[in-house]
Amino acid sequence: MIISKLKEAWICIKAGRVTLPYPFKPRVPEEGFRGRVTVEAERCLGCAGCANVCTPRAIVVSDPSQELRVLDFFLERCTYCARCAEVCPEKAITVTKEFETSTNNTQDLHLRVEVFMGTCQRCGRCFEPATPLDKMMVTGFRDGDGASQPLPQG
Amino acid sequence: MTTTEITNTLRGRLGTSLLSTSEPVAGKLYLEVEAKALADAARCLQDDLKGRFLISAATDRRATNGAFAVTHFFSLDPDKLFVSLTARVPEGSAVVPSITPAVPAANWAEREIQDMLGVKTEGHPDPRRLVVADDWPEGLYPLRKDVPYDIKPPAQAGVEMKFKPAPAGTSTLVVGPFYPVLEEPAQLRLYVEGERVVDCDYRGFYSHRGIEKLGDSVLTYNEIPFVAERICGICGFIHSTCYCEAAEEAAGVEVPRRARYIRLLMLEIERIHSHLLWLGIAGHIIGFDTVLMQSWRIREPIMWLCEQITGNRKTYGMNLVGGVRRDIPADLHPKILEVIRKIETETLAVADAIAGDTPLRLRIQGVGRISEAEARRLCVVGPVARGSNVGIDARVDHPYAAYDELPPKVAVHDSSDIFARLMVRVEETFDSIRLVREALQQMPEGPIMAEMKEAIPAGREGLRSIEAPRGEAIHYLLSGPDNRPERWRVRAPTYANLQAIPTMIKDETIADVPIILGSIDPCFSCTERVETVDLKTGEERSITRRQLEELSRNRRP
Amino acid sequence: MAQTIEIIGLAIVNLVVLVGLAPLADGLLRKLRATLHSRKGPPITQPYIDLLKLLGKEDLTPQGTVGFGAGVWAVAPILGLGAIMVAALFVPLAGAPPLNFAGDVIALLYLLALATVAITLGGFASGNPYAYIGASREVMMLLTAEPVMAIALVAIAVKAHTLTFAGMIASQGAVGFSVSGVIATIAFLLALQANVGKLPFDIPEAETEIMGGPFIERSGPGLALFRLAAQAKTLIFGFLLVTVFLPWPTHLGLPLATLLNFVKVAVVLVLVEIANVANPRLRIDQAMVFYSRIVVFVAVVALVFAALGA
Repeated sequence: MIISKLKEAWICIKAGRVTLPYPFKPRVPEEGFRGRVTVEAERCLGCAGCANVCTPRAIVVSDPSQELRVLDFFLERCTYCARCAEVCPEKAITVTKEFETSTNNTQDLHLRVEVFMGTCQRCGRCFEPATPLDKMMVTGFRDGDGASQPLPQG
Repeated sequence: MTTTEITNTLRGRLGTSLLSTSEPVAGKLYLEVEAKALADAARCLQDDLKGRFLISAATDRRATNGAFAVTHFFSLDPDKLFVSLTARVPEGSAVVPSITPAVPAANWAEREIQDMLGVKTEGHPDPRRLVVADDWPEGLYPLRKDVPYDIKPPAQAGVEMKFKPAPAGTSTLVVGPFYPVLEEPAQLRLYVEGERVVDCDYRGFYSHRGIEKLGDSVLTYNEIPFVAERICGICGFIHSTCYCEAAEEAAGVEVPRRARYIRLLMLEIERIHSHLLWLGIAGHIIGFDTVLMQSWRIREPIMWLCEQITGNRKTYGMNLVGGVRRDIPADLHPKILEVIRKIETETLAVADAIAGDTPLRLRIQGVGRISEAEARRLCVVGPVARGSNVGIDARVDHPYAAYDELPPKVAVHDSSDIFARLMVRVEETFDSIRLVREALQQMPEGPIMAEMKEAIPAGREGLRSIEAPRGEAIHYLLSGPDNRPERWRVRAPTYANLQAIPTMIKDETIADVPIILGSIDPCFSCTERVETVDLKTGEERSITRRQLEELSRNRRP
Repeated sequence: MAQTIEIIGLAIVNLVVLVGLAPLADGLLRKLRATLHSRKGPPITQPYIDLLKLLGKEDLTPQGTVGFGAGVWAVAPILGLGAIMVAALFVPLAGAPPLNFAGDVIALLYLLALATVAITLGGFASGNPYAYIGASREVMMLLTAEPVMAIALVAIAVKAHTLTFAGMIASQGAVGFSVSGVIATIAFLLALQANVGKLPFDIPEAETEIMGGPFIERSGPGLALFRLAAQAKTLIFGFLLVTVFLPWPTHLGLPLATLLNFVKVAVVLVLVEIANVANPRLRIDQAMVFYSRIVVFVAVVALVFAALGA
C-alpha cells in the first residue's frame, strides 16, 4: 500500500501545476472552433436557408413588406452548431472563434439583416404551392411566442 | 436462431394472436400481435427465446390508423437480432396488459407509456407516475399529437408526491434532489435501520426536457442530431450517431465507409474521456479528490483535441443523417496519436498506482453487488452488466459504424461489485486507445456524406442500439408525413441501470449508497429526456423563503 | 503579580499562535493540497477571508429546534470554540504551557473531548437526519480515536511519573529515545489523522456522503466558530505531538526552542496533509476496526513498556 501511495504521490508531483492563467491571459481556441457567427449583410440573398436549418430557431425571417425581407439573428439562442454557415450559398455567414459572448444586454447579441427583394411584376411575390419559407412564417420561433401563435404579418 | 424459427415459436404460442411479421432489414423482426396477447408474447420472447428487454415505445397513430401503437423491443444478442412486439389499441379502450410481471425490466417503460400516452397498462405492480410530476393535471398526456409541445399547464393544487410507505422500524433518509454527489437532481428515498439500507424508493425525471416531443413536433430529421447530442452532458456523440444510424436505416441510405470510420474514431475518443471522467467522479465520491484532479488533468488534452477536430469540446456537431460533416484531415493524425499515446502512458501509471491502494479497495470491493441472475433479470447494460459476467456489448451484438470491421474486445469480470465495474472501464479505456490507433491506420479514403436527395417516406422504421460508455443506448425512429419524424424514442443506458439500484443498495450502509450510485455512472440527463414541457414550470409559483428553507432541508420523517 | 502577568502574557501568545494563526496554517495546507492536485489553489489567507465572510452571514436556526434544543443549538459553537481556546492554554509551545497544574493531561483530554461533544450536541440539536448520522459518527470516532491519544499521553506520563506537561517534556528530553516513547509516538501519529478529522478519517463530516454531517445546518457565525475550532484543533494536536513526544534537542533557549517546534509542527502537518490528499475516506466501521483493534493495541503496548520502565 505504501508503494502505491508513493506512486500516486509521484504522479501528482510530476505533473506540476496545470492551471491556465485564463482569464488574466487570453486563450485562443484552435482553428475550426465553432464560436459566434457574424453575417456579411451585403452577401445575403434572403434565401433564409440559414433559418431553415437553425435548430434553436435563433434566426427569424419576416417580410414587413413586399420588397423587404428582414432576417433577425437572436444569437443568445445560438447553439454554435455552424449549420447556418454551412448551408449559406453565398458564404455570408462566418464562424468566428469568439466564445466570450456573455453580456448583460441581449441587444449585443442581435444581428439584423435587411434585404431588398426583387418582386414579381404583377403582384409582388406570390408562389402557388406553399414554399418551405412560407411554412416557417406561419409558426413563430421566438422565445415566448409559442408554436401556437403566428408571427405578426406585415 | 433464425427469424423463421422465432416466428414459428411465437406462432405456436400465440396462434392467431400473432397478426403479422415484417423484416424490413437484416437483423430486425417486427411483429404485430393482438393487445391481449402482449404479455404472453413478451414472456415467450424473454423466457423461451432468451430475449433481453430493451425499451417500450408508444406512439399516437390515431391520425394514420385510429389507434395507439404500443411497441416492446427485445434484443436477442446471440442471434444479433432485434425483435419488436407491437399492439394497437383504439382510443376508446386504450388498455394493454402489462408485461412487467413477466418482464420486470419493463417497469419504468410501461409507467412511461401510461404517463405520456395515457394507455393504461393493466396489472402493473407499481402504476404510480414516473415521468410527469405528481401534480401534473389528470388526463393531459404529453406525447399525444393533440397536445402542443409548449403547453404550460397549471399544477394541481394540494397533491403530494407519492412514495412507497417506509417499512416498519425504519427511518427515512432523503437523498436529493439537492445532493452533492449527484450532478443532476433526483430523489432517492432510503429507508434505513441505523446505517443499513433496508429499502428505497426513487423519484426522478426532474430534468425532463421534452426532447422526444420536440422531435415529434417541430424538429426536422437533420436538426435532431444537434438536439440528440445535448441529451447527455458527457456522451453526446453516441446519441447523435445512434439517431443518425436509425434515420439512415429508415431512409435506406448507405453511409460511406470513411464516414463510418470517422464515427467510430470519435465514439472511441468519447469513450476514453468518459471513462476517465467517471474515474474522477468515483474518486470524488469516496473522498479521494486527488484521483479526481489527476484523472481529469489527464483527460483534458482529449477535450482540446476534440475541440480541434470537431470545433467543440463535447457537442461535436459532426453527425448528419447520411454521414459526417467534417473530415479528419491527414495532418491531424499525428496529433491524435500523440494525445492518445500520452493518455495511455498516464492512465497506465494511474491504474498501476491505484491497484495496490488498500483504502480504495476497502471501499469498493464487495460493495454494491448485483448477481449475474439479477443483472439478467433486470436487463442492466454496460459495465454494470459486464462486471457481473453478462457479456453484452452493442458493438459486438449489433455492430454499427465501422465495428463490423474493427471489433472491440469485450471486457467481462465476474466479481459483480464496484471493483469489477472499475476494472471493466479501465480495460475498455485501453481497448478504445487500441481502436483509435487501428481506425486511424485503416481509415479508407472516400466521401464522408451520402447524398440524400429525396425525403424519407412515411411509415419507415429505424432502430439502432449503440454502446455508450455507460451502456447500451437505443434510438427508435418512425418516419412520418411531411419529411419529419412521427416518433422518436430514446432509451439511455442509465434508464435500465437505475432500475437495478434498489437491488444493489439493499443491506448496504448509507456511506456506500453514493459510490454505488456512482458506480453505474449515472447520467440522469440522459435518462430523463422524454416528453413535453419543462417539469419545473409546474412549480413556477413563487416560493417564500420559509418554504424554500423547508424544501431544501431534510424534514424529519 | 508578576507571575500573573507572565501567565497572561504566555496565554495570549498561546491563543494568538494556536487559534489566531490556525487559519494561516490551514491556508498553507490548502496550498499544499492544491499543489498535489496540480492546481493553483486559493491564496494562503483564504481561511481568514472565509471566516470573515461567514461572520457576516445570517445565523439560521433550523425549523425543528425549539426550547431546550434551540438553546443547545445556539450554545454549541461557542462551547466548541471555547473548549478549544481553553485547551490551547494547556498546550505547551516549548517548555511549559501557560496554565499548568497537577492534572494537565487530564484537563486537556477533557477539554478536547468537550469540543467534540459540542459538535455532537449541535448536530443532534439541528433535527436533520444527516446531522444525526454525522453526530453519531462523531461520537463513534471519539470513542475509538480519543482513547488512543489518551493512552499514548498517559504512557509518557507514566514514564515521567507526573501528569504535568512541563514534567513530561523535561522527562522526555532527559530520557531521549525509549521503546515506549517511540511506540507511543507512532500511536499518537496514527490517532492524529482521526482526531483532526482528516482523510481517511474525516467520516463524521463526509461531504459527499452526508453533506457535512453535524454542520449541515450551520450557517454564518456558528459555522465560522466551528471551523476555527477545527483549524485550531489541528494546530493543537500538532504542537502536542511535537513538544511532548519529540522535544529534542533540549537546552535551547525558549525562543529558539519555540521556533524549532514551529518547524517540527510544520513537518508533522505536511505529513498529515499528504495523508489527507492521498487517501479515500474509509467507512465508519472500517475506521473503528482500525482504531479499536489495531491502533489501540499499539498504544497499550507503549503503556506496558512505559510501566515496565522501558
